Amino acid sequence: MAELGVEEARSLGEMVETPLVEFKDLVVSYGPVQALAGVSGAFLPGPTGLLGPNGAGKTTLLKTLLGFLDPDRGTITAFGRDPAKEPLEVRRRIGYMPEVDCHLPGMTAAAFVAFAGELSGLPRDEAISRAHEVLYYVGLGEARYRTVETYSTGMKQRVKLAQALVHDPDLLLLDEPTNGLDPAGRDEMLALIRDISERRQMSLILCSHLLRDVEQVCENVIVFNQGRVAASGRIADLTGPRRAVYDVRVKGDATAFLTDLKDHGCEWREGEDGYRVSMSDGFGPELIFRTARESGVQVRFLRPGAETLEDVFLRALGHEAER
Amino acid sequence: MPIYEQTYRRHEARGPLRRVRFWPITREALRLILARRWFLALLVAAWLPFVVEVIRIYVVTRFPEANRILPVDGRLFGELLGWQAFFTMFITIFGGAGLVANDLRTGAILVYLSRPLTRRDYVVGKLGVPLLLNLSATLAPGLLLYAVALALAPDLFWKWDLAWIAPAVVVQSLTVSMVMSLVALAVSSLSRSVRVAGLGFFGLLIGLEVARGILYALYRRPETALLSLQADLRSLGVTLFGLADRSVNVPWAYAAAMLAAVSIGCLLVLRSRVRAVEIVQ
Repeated sequence: MAELGVEEARSLGEMVETPLVEFKDLVVSYGPVQALAGVSGAFLPGPTGLLGPNGAGKTTLLKTLLGFLDPDRGTITAFGRDPAKEPLEVRRRIGYMPEVDCHLPGMTAAAFVAFAGELSGLPRDEAISRAHEVLYYVGLGEARYRTVETYSTGMKQRVKLAQALVHDPDLLLLDEPTNGLDPAGRDEMLALIRDISERRQMSLILCSHLLRDVEQVCENVIVFNQGRVAASGRIADLTGPRRAVYDVRVKGDATAFLTDLKDHGCEWREGEDGYRVSMSDGFGPELIFRTARESGVQVRFLRPGAETLEDVFLRALGHEAER
Repeated sequence: MPIYEQTYRRHEARGPLRRVRFWPITREALRLILARRWFLALLVAAWLPFVVEVIRIYVVTRFPEANRILPVDGRLFGELLGWQAFFTMFITIFGGAGLVANDLRTGAILVYLSRPLTRRDYVVGKLGVPLLLNLSATLAPGLLLYAVALALAPDLFWKWDLAWIAPAVVVQSLTVSMVMSLVALAVSSLSRSVRVAGLGFFGLLIGLEVARGILYALYRRPETALLSLQADLRSLGVTLFGLADRSVNVPWAYAAAMLAAVSIGCLLVLRSRVRAVEIVQ
């Protein structure tokens, strides 16, 4: 293998760090409803999670990126091009796996994926050949001559992934790829996506409202909430050292107890049966007992738990809402 | 071995964007439609009038006196295309009603529009399906009948003053096929159900024809023909082929203008309905 010169290595380094997608002060509305309210950010090469509750604006961002929606204000570029002005040049480098079901009635998976490849600009023979390879890759090799409407939900998700992959895009947009899958199917799909990212070196944006999915595949994340970017960066940096968390159930008026906990720097939210309390740094369960005694309530249940990514992001979203 | 251990080649060759991008859409939709045997039977049945007209020409060439009962001249082609217009209605319903409706129902519209395709490519690709099917039932038998007529009865048809037949067949076939296809596609884009779209198209054609019939019966005015698509198409046929049909005896320019307005309306409907994002106000 030829060694890279200093200049080549530098330009390669710059290329690696150049964002694939950048958006600045982006405002997108559906009629009177503002779906994206002046968001800014960038997707670097590699896997990036796009996280947020339903209706946060994640899918709107993807659709703007594909040139389906025109921004009311701000800019968005993909591979240095404006999707609103050069949608075809942008879309040919993107593979899109939509959230909703999509298939052509009466078409076998092999024909469907080959057709998708041809629509993306592959020559027909190449599209057919790659369709078979991609269907084997996603685990549908044996079922590729069945019509897609006879597939289970998991198989349909894999076909959607195959049609997004067939033309070997530079960027893969995965909109809720684990929707409707059982736990085993979910793990298999995430393993597949991780493989695409790690071994195939394909950049991808994983759009999900499930923190676990994003955490399994991505190192970087952009968190959306109510049409705004609530947080962005490396997941490890965003979460920081995780706090001690306790599930607590009390008897008596909890209002004063919870207010006192907050005064001590703790945070809490209602759990399934009681409260989930994130302790402030350096404090343990003795603070809960002491506060309970001072507030006049009885601690009837206390169980230590680990702070999940969900807790961290709910905390981030909570802070965002407060701002 | 996990399934993802299996791999595929990277595709490195990325050429320039294709100029003709709609053809795969047309081809695949045609392939799916023509895979249905009953649809092939319908296409074959649409050629029955052609067979009847060939027999008619043959009989006249063998028994010239039959020409008095069954005159064989330019009008024969107009009559043939009149029959073919009837068949195009069914071909369009069964071959065109689901083209956009199915894509809206199954979400396939996103598969198309997330590719390097414009909405125009999509519409042209889908339009090509009923258009080609209808042309196979109008233009093909019309021109073939002309060729057969020239071969069987050259003394009747090999004349300069009948040279207009071929262009007239082309114009009438293209008009019938294009208008039917555009209306079917527009109606298809208004529903997510193939049945609703098919019934909508059928109801539109029949409803307007019934309305025209009632108004004509009441007022005996040929202008009522403008109300009905089929009557407008017949009106053009009357002009092109010199047929006699007093019920649609309106100036051809009016009928053509009405058909053009309908076609533009259909294109506007398609423009608003063929979108990757449905915006509910």
